[in-house]
Amino acid sequence: VQTAEQYQDYAQQQDSARLGMWIFLATEILFFGVLLFVYGLSRTRYPEAFAVASRRTDVVLGTLNTAMLLTSSFTMALAVRAGELQLAQAARRWLYATAFLGAAFLTIKGIEYQKDYTDHLVPMLNFHFDAAHARGAEAFFGLYFASTAVHAFHVLIGLFIIVLFARALPGEEGVAFSSLRIEVLGLYWHFVDVVWIFLYPLLYLVSRA
Amino acid sequence: MNAWPVRTYLLSWLALLALLTLTVVSAYFQLGTWNITINLGVATLKALIVIFVFMHLARSTPLLRLVAAAGFIWLAILTVLTLADVLTRPTAM
Repeated sequence: VQTAEQYQDYAQQQDSARLGMWIFLATEILFFGVLLFVYGLSRTRYPEAFAVASRRTDVVLGTLNTAMLLTSSFTMALAVRAGELQLAQAARRWLYATAFLGAAFLTIKGIEYQKDYTDHLVPMLNFHFDAAHARGAEAFFGLYFASTAVHAFHVLIGLFIIVLFARALPGEEGVAFSSLRIEVLGLYWHFVDVVWIFLYPLLYLVSRA
Repeated sequence: MNAWPVRTYLLSWLALLALLTLTVVSAYFQLGTWNITINLGVATLKALIVIFVFMHLARSTPLLRLVAAAGFIWLAILTVLTLADVLTRPTAM
């Protein structure tokens, strides 16, 4: 693999690509951090309503989805590893496995949204909740939809790029290819996983006992 | 840079699933403030595994680690500054 002409050597190109992605991820930390901050404030203000509202989320699907995303990070790590070792077939296989798990995540999320809709839990659309907790519960579900929708959008973008990169891999073994962009895509994918790792207990596990 | 063995990633994945089980099971016990402590503690631990192993921060250059930390530290600064406003309003939350 040739070094791009603006770099002294490939190591510098690698450092630069990783640095660029991490700086982007730092902006993402702030972006999702704000949502979590507002969540914290609202939860301190309406602790009981948050407990009641959280029980209306589907904990089985939520947990299944968490496992799905954690596993997709594992397969993505293996895709990056295969890239480092210049194994085109293995890299493609693990990328497609990751894409499959990402698609499964989005499908399950869609099923959940449909359930939330029929349960009248969508703020500004059809929200109905017992009067005692309506305000706090609406705040909870507003944050639930805002954070999970933005997160799902990130998964969707990742999915699209994963398939794009998998298709661009050489068909034959032994043909050199750039593993750097797979690695950088991996950083993005893992970060989206980290966001979900925090969303999961805050949305699904507030009060289950 | 040498690739890490598959074992490293496999063990991390198993640890992540074990932590997921721990957090979901603990949520079904009445533990008072320990519920959220465990939930957020486990989430932090899972995030650290993903960041240090899957995202390779354990073998990254110091500059990259600094940039990664800067994102979280800056979030902490903004959180504290905003709380300084919100928590000192006359109509406290």
